[in-house]
Amino acid sequence: MSGISASVIPIIMFSVALIILSSNKPHFDAFLVGAAEGAKTCAKLLPSLCALLVAIEMLFASGAIDVIEEYLSDFTEVVGIPSGMLPLILTRPVSGAASAATFSELLKEYGADSYTGLCASILMGSSDTVIYILSVYFSAAGVKRTRYAFAAAFIVMLFSVFFSAFLCRLFFGFA
Amino acid sequence: MLGKCFSVICIISVIFAIVTKNISSLSNAVVDGASRAVELSLSLLGVMCLWSGLMELLRSAGVVKKIAQILRPILRLAFPHAFKTGIGAEEITMNISANMLGIGNAATPLAIAAMKAMREGQIEDANVVNRESVEDVDLDVATDDMITLAVLNSSSLDLLPTTIIALRRAAGSADPYSIIVPVWICSAAGSVLAVLLCRFFAVLFRQKKRRHDSGGRHGYTRRVDSVKSNGGLSENMNKTRAGAP
Repeated sequence: MSGISASVIPIIMFSVALIILSSNKPHFDAFLVGAAEGAKTCAKLLPSLCALLVAIEMLFASGAIDVIEEYLSDFTEVVGIPSGMLPLILTRPVSGAASAATFSELLKEYGADSYTGLCASILMGSSDTVIYILSVYFSAAGVKRTRYAFAAAFIVMLFSVFFSAFLCRLFFGFA
Repeated sequence: MLGKCFSVICIISVIFAIVTKNISSLSNAVVDGASRAVELSLSLLGVMCLWSGLMELLRSAGVVKKIAQILRPILRLAFPHAFKTGIGAEEITMNISANMLGIGNAATPLAIAAMKAMREGQIEDANVVNRESVEDVDLDVATDDMITLAVLNSSSLDLLPTTIIALRRAAGSADPYSIIVPVWICSAAGSVLAVLLCRFFAVLFRQKKRRHDSGGRHGYTRRVDSVKSNGGLSENMNKTRAGAP
């Protein structure tokens, strides 16, 4: 399994190189256009990341996280989710910048290869900003009543939380 | 939303810092957080540049369209109405495939185009229904396919979580790529659950106006011709039209 994970990026780089060589179209120009776009996206991320990283760092430094964790650790132990994931679970549906800030803080606090760090990585990769996406899409469509949309999206999100912890135990052998 | 998020976290932190007497470390955290934001975006900048570039390259090479072709038969099951009528079907497939490659910049406009097309179809449908019955159709309500698209997009479809890999690498992970396969499994399971759940809820909360469906569906096929395609989609529209009843 780790072989597959490790070979994904080499495969992509190799296929991209083949694509550039195999046709006369200016594919590399497309790369440059896309890369400039990526730089812009990242620059746009900085202001909100700045504010939210300050907030998250404050939350960890104030000791609030320790208190919350202590209260919830019995509960999280029973359901099998690491208690350190809680800030991520709360911020993930709301905003991409907030969850990125929380995620990097979690990695710093617990270590990227710890149980909490790996669970958080899988959850980050397999969930998205539910509230943000649903509101953007439905306001674009001009729809006011969203019926079961939020219920369904949050059930999926909750499933991802539990399933990421399960996969983490399965793949990385945490008890 | 971000402002509220920021304020709530700040207030909780300050109160806790006062209670637990952590004031000085809180002050340090403020300064540290700001500089860490720069560190983080710097470590993300290169990866985001590279990745957006590579994905734009794949898009210009037609890879997104290839994926869309592969996905079409599967998505037909998830969006029965859109694919039956052809309204928004093309935008939906392109949106999902762009999302799988992590091209957010391309995926969101496509999703919005799909939502708008489905919305126009819904209004047209309501006009047809109203001609045959006096009953008003509620137009503020999302259709089943709209909800499925939104929920599917809100569960991640990303095949390669590059940002997460970059953040893991920045945090000193020994093997930042180890999460790729578990992320695939978790995303796939989440997406399948999203579709199944939406289909289940669609049956569970069937809308009243559905009663008219059998009578008033002819309006759709006419609509297909006027659906605005996004970018270079127009040549693919014929396929969708052929699939329409």
